[in-house]
Amino acid sequence: MELLLDNLAHGFGVALSLNNLLFALLGAFIGTAIGVLPGIGPVATISLLLPITFGQPATTAIIMLAGIYYGAQYGGSTTAILLNLPGEVSSVVTTLEGYKMARNGRAGAALTIAALGSFFAGSVATILVAASGPLLTEIALSFGPADYFSLMLLGLVISAVLAQGSVVKSVAMVVLGVALGLVGTDVQTGQQRFTFGIPELSDGLNFAAIAMGVFGIGEIILNLERPEVRSVLSSKVGSMFLTKEEWKRATPSVIRGTIIGSALGILPGGGASLASFGSYMMERKMSRGRNEFGNGAIEGVAGPEAANNAAAQTSFIPLLTLGIPSNAVMALMVGALIIQGIQPGPRMVESQPDLFWGLICSMWIGNVMLLVINLPMIGMWVKLLQVPYKYMYPAILTFCAIGVYSINNNVFDVYQTVFFAVLGYAFAKLKMEPAPLLVGFVLGPMMEEHLRRAMLLSRGDPVVFIERPISAVLLIVAALALGLMLLPGLRKKKEAAMAG
Amino acid sequence: MRINAKDFASALLLLALAAIGLWLNTDHTLGSARRMGPGYMPMLTFGLEFFLGLCVLGISMVSGPDPLERWTKIDFVSLFLGIAVTLVAYPLLLSVSPALGNNWYALGIAMIIGLGVMAISPGWRKMALILAGMTVFGVLLDHGGLFLAIAAMVVVSALADPEHRPLGVIGSVVFLIALCWWVFIYELDIRVNIWPTF
Repeated sequence: MELLLDNLAHGFGVALSLNNLLFALLGAFIGTAIGVLPGIGPVATISLLLPITFGQPATTAIIMLAGIYYGAQYGGSTTAILLNLPGEVSSVVTTLEGYKMARNGRAGAALTIAALGSFFAGSVATILVAASGPLLTEIALSFGPADYFSLMLLGLVISAVLAQGSVVKSVAMVVLGVALGLVGTDVQTGQQRFTFGIPELSDGLNFAAIAMGVFGIGEIILNLERPEVRSVLSSKVGSMFLTKEEWKRATPSVIRGTIIGSALGILPGGGASLASFGSYMMERKMSRGRNEFGNGAIEGVAGPEAANNAAAQTSFIPLLTLGIPSNAVMALMVGALIIQGIQPGPRMVESQPDLFWGLICSMWIGNVMLLVINLPMIGMWVKLLQVPYKYMYPAILTFCAIGVYSINNNVFDVYQTVFFAVLGYAFAKLKMEPAPLLVGFVLGPMMEEHLRRAMLLSRGDPVVFIERPISAVLLIVAALALGLMLLPGLRKKKEAAMAG
Repeated sequence: MRINAKDFASALLLLALAAIGLWLNTDHTLGSARRMGPGYMPMLTFGLEFFLGLCVLGISMVSGPDPLERWTKIDFVSLFLGIAVTLVAYPLLLSVSPALGNNWYALGIAMIIGLGVMAISPGWRKMALILAGMTVFGVLLDHGGLFLAIAAMVVVSALADPEHRPLGVIGSVVFLIALCWWVFIYELDIRVNIWPTF
């Protein structure tokens, strides 16, 4: 306990430095903006801004990128409530009750409980990350290469199972990601693989080019093909204060949402959107106001909003303690860390205390900032929606182009981005989910490394993966997760859940 | 029985990629399970990918109709013509002037020509113009400088949205040049020419 307090004090020392505060604020600000704007999500934004963070120390870079992710959860709720327009996938369920509340003249109350609920959940999740981090790290340190391989396999399987759409196609996308990760120099023999003699490819495909091409540029083309939906603020915001009755109804929902959100965030493959949906289902079944669902029940806003913010933060736990990204955003964080020269893994808590504890404390500070950014400035954020997409997309394109060029000062990376944009566009048209591809691309090279080491140690005997208890358990869980999703009943439930 | 065209096309894409991967992998030594060579992991990966491609192919037969968007004749023609022109133009440009091999000029120019061909068909126009804009940026950046490259990219990509008006595009160009100068040159100090050099 005392050690935890010491560590947190150290973390606050790091997070409160002027530079880190500034970048946390910048991240939270950008996150809110893209949360409000539909058509650009956290994955695209983080990959877009990845190159900008290279000049900063690793801690500062991750603090800002994390701010974008949880900031987007706050911003997404604003437009969901006021305009029935989910800015992010994770706020789809907020539109259900939140917009109804706005129609009833309680928009202000809905916004307040969304922000305060998120803040409460964020604070609890911060403590959870701080407490569980060192604990999980200790377990992870006893992992051998075989266990690591199985752990990564589990991460890949779950990220595919929980993705939208067909499970088999998502698994295929994970494998495709691993395949893309093979391009480059083989670490052990130095042989060039799949590089076509292009020197630029000997370090592998450019991670930012894949992320920006598939998620950034591909998304622009799709958005342009869709007719633009323009909504106007129809109802007044009303009083921002909650009545006594509303407080009484919302408080238990916030607590339940925090618990379920924290739990679902830790799961590999989990994340904010899964959490907000899980919480909504729970509130509809068991909250006191369940009969009012559909007519603007405050529980339906309080629970999911708390849950998605809690999950956005606890999804950092597998990344920071095991080095396993649980979703596409976390895969980008791994990319950012590797470019900074830090190998994510269980030794990170010890070897990078500034990063680990600084990030945790900055998350809490970021949540305070978000409260200030969001509640009093609602009007400004709604105005942002009036910027037409035709002015936004050239800006996104410009930032992508300069950003990806500046990583290696090489135009080849720009052309790579174009290539992956075409691929991303094709994936979208064929209903192939791209998020698992990114996770596979990041984990692939590490998996190969551990597979080779494990097999060398076992003299080529694959039984080692079942002999070691940790590895065996992880493989069984992976097999179960895959098996369950192939059952038709559960698959239908998942489809219903993802459809929102 | 109607097949699921989206799944069917996905399966073909997966099978094609896996087959190419396996074929390219014949250059690498496999090694043994104990001492894996550079070709071992690719073999496993592309083998699994091929198997999954077959699974998706099987599923596409029963997963119900989900048709692809209709392609017009001009969509087909411009797609294949665009790819063909790019593939022909790249070596042609290199043989005309080997200097174009520097800085990937030949690749960028070949891509612009190919994307230009694709932009003829209304179905591809938006994608082709957005991507052509980005490629123009790559080609112009080194000698044309950052400002010219941004301006050209914004103008070309603005053609993708018919709602754009000249004044709005000029405004965008000026705004983005100012913003990028501030972010990338003033704050981040990336190493790139700002003005044209010849």
